Amino acid sequence: MATVQVSEAEKVYVMHGVRDDLRVDGRGCEDYRHMEIETDVVSNTDGSAKVSLGHTDILVGIKAEIGKPRPMVPDEGYLEFFVDCSANATPEFEGRGGEELGVELSNTLYKVFNNRHSLDLRSLCICPGEHCWVLYVDVLLLQCDGNLFDAMSIAIKAALFNTRIPKVHISEDEEGVKEIELSDDPYDCMRLNVENVPCIVTLCKIAHRHVVDATLQEKACSVASLLISVTHKGMVTCVRKLGRGSLDPDSIFEMTETGKRVGKALHAPLMELLQKEESLGKKRQKVGFLA
Amino acid sequence: MPVDTKRVRGPDESQSPLVFLPPTAQTCEVLRRPGDRGKGDVRPLFARCGLVSQAKGSAYIEAGNTKIMCSVYGPRETERKDDTDMKSGRLVCDVRLAPFSCQKRGAWIQGSEERDLSLALSESMQPGVCLHRYPRSQIEVNVMVLENDGGVLAHAVTCASMALADAGIEMYDVVLGCALRQDGDSCLVDPDFSEERGSWQAGYGENQGRVTVALLPNFNQVSGLHADGEMREDTLTAAVRTCMDGCHKLYPVVQQAILRAVKRKAPPPEK
Repeated sequence: MATVQVSEAEKVYVMHGVRDDLRVDGRGCEDYRHMEIETDVVSNTDGSAKVSLGHTDILVGIKAEIGKPRPMVPDEGYLEFFVDCSANATPEFEGRGGEELGVELSNTLYKVFNNRHSLDLRSLCICPGEHCWVLYVDVLLLQCDGNLFDAMSIAIKAALFNTRIPKVHISEDEEGVKEIELSDDPYDCMRLNVENVPCIVTLCKIAHRHVVDATLQEKACSVASLLISVTHKGMVTCVRKLGRGSLDPDSIFEMTETGKRVGKALHAPLMELLQKEESLGKKRQKVGFLA
Repeated sequence: MPVDTKRVRGPDESQSPLVFLPPTAQTCEVLRRPGDRGKGDVRPLFARCGLVSQAKGSAYIEAGNTKIMCSVYGPRETERKDDTDMKSGRLVCDVRLAPFSCQKRGAWIQGSEERDLSLALSESMQPGVCLHRYPRSQIEVNVMVLENDGGVLAHAVTCASMALADAGIEMYDVVLGCALRQDGDSCLVDPDFSEERGSWQAGYGENQGRVTVALLPNFNQVSGLHADGEMREDTLTAAVRTCMDGCHKLYPVVQQAILRAVKRKAPPPEK
């Protein structure tokens, strides 16, 4: 993971600032950095989004492929997550250097989506027990400047919103042989209901307070953080303590409360933004990667 | 190679016939637990230190059918010289699930589940170990899950801290782990494998989740917290509290086992 060197004096400066609810870049403890979202950035995918949060840049591409449902759940499709830490972000990720972080991130994503409500997986079923849609969610880290989890979850939500799965229907001949037929109209697509897709909020414990959306510098000042994924209704789908420190039970409860409040407030503007972007349609000026 | 099309070949991948049982047969009744164990009770724990003579310290834990062994090697010179932080030691945790430990056979090579467990164990153990006392060195904690019957991470944490104590590694406190499964409004402490997984139908209900807490009992500090599923915030808070109570219930057993190991290594002088 990309790290920065922070001296003791700098640490004290950051800590004192956090105590007075003023952070180095002028934010309050519960504020996010400036965020930019663009969907439909890669044409070869079924859905894609690019999110930049401060200097953290994340690109998510979703591809839908037809696969076989899991035998335990014949009437549901499933999601596969893969996180690639590009060596562009930091030279440490070169070769297999980013693998450890990539596995950690993707395992967390599996946990975040490990419930029946986040996404209606039954809508991904084509023919129970035989065919279903498998959504391959590939996350690419282009730049790391702290708070990868939050940026990643927002990018995934945006990409899922943008995902269009071609409509298929099953035809059966007299002998009972089933055939999958793809709709002729390329615009005849299925959309996913992303209302319940959770967003991750990572809270960094600094001195006696906790901050949302920590930069690398702030992260270096804290020994423990708490990751919470929250849906728009305020349901918690995943909690995880990160880092090498321990936390007081009371501060955990405080942090979950803050996480729930911040996470809940994140969803409405995000959905509004995504809908607004979509309503612009083809007229929208594409920004791309040189924003 | 020519393929004999007349012959019916078996499927590439085989599944356990239990998978294809009708859903009614799969649902486990959570209202009653085997024996006279209540919902808030942990399984009786068997814990012993010192089963691997070659290791610096080792421990074995049995809770219900969950069987875990752990051995600790080190402190020794660190392998990774490039690490910038040489002032404190490194705790290298490695969790393996034996191929025969789960219902389905696993592979010998470390899968993503095992890597996830290793990371979770490492993050839960680090706050309890005085790593600053071991500069430029690493301590290896190897956990082998012999049988998985639920609560693997929680019991691995307890087992690893016993092995570290047995190895004489300086620690602030023992680390104890407790798992819980939330099923609607009721919660099951220290679930076995079928309770932990739950029935698939129940997964559509509300407030379904799993929580694992690692606790330093004397400092009352939570060193590890892992939860998934979908829960309300108040349910989660209550679940964390219940897990902490569960950890405290394990404490006397672990303390006794460590004391026993110490007495065996350094017998008290006879009067």
